[in-house]
Amino acid sequence: MKTLFLFPNKFKKLGWILFIPSLLSGLLLFIKGIDFDNYFKMNVFAFYSDQFLSESKFFTIIENGVLDEISLVLIIVGALLVGFSKTKNEDEFISKIRYESLVWATYLNFILMIIATLVIYGFAYFNVLLANTFAMLLFFIIRFHFMIYKLNKSSNDEE
Amino acid sequence: MKNNLKVLRAIKNISQEDLAKNIGVSRQTINAMEKGKYAPSTILALKLARFFEKTVDEIFTLEETD
Repeated sequence: MKTLFLFPNKFKKLGWILFIPSLLSGLLLFIKGIDFDNYFKMNVFAFYSDQFLSESKFFTIIENGVLDEISLVLIIVGALLVGFSKTKNEDEFISKIRYESLVWATYLNFILMIIATLVIYGFAYFNVLLANTFAMLLFFIIRFHFMIYKLNKSSNDEE
Repeated sequence: MKNNLKVLRAIKNISQEDLAKNIGVSRQTINAMEKGKYAPSTILALKLARFFEKTVDEIFTLEETD
């Protein structure tokens, strides 16, 4: 079947390899309260920067710990590859499940966003926004694979 | 939409797996269609019809709710 906008199946494994370790290490560092900005310090190009207690600048070079940037990019790239690589037996029914999971994840994500916006205040809300960078992809991946798992189970019971 | 895929498959004595391979879909898709959980695309319906040497409306029939 012709599928638009999906990666070949072999990228799925690469996606898992990028996604799971970066998500787990990111979560671990976050829970332990480690300051990401103290690691892998280097000069980076900033299109825009308004760091605490310094003036805002466009097109500048700043010193920054890049651990958080690397983690987030790996999580997102990994999640995209996991969610949007073809499954081994991709067909129209799997595509339908993928599409429905995406709709479901979008609703869940924005319902949670609305709730968080109404009840979380101050700096904690920054963490909500941070999680929100990849939360929707995470919900989608969980839902999609859960539905496939359920399907496999029910069709294995059959025969 | 109802279908008699399961009956046709039994007559031909072919497993879901083999039918899936023949048509070029996953086994889950065959399973979901037999359970009435999935309405196939026109292309898939035509492929099934060709495989069973039937017309599409000999395999699939509309229901009141459709």
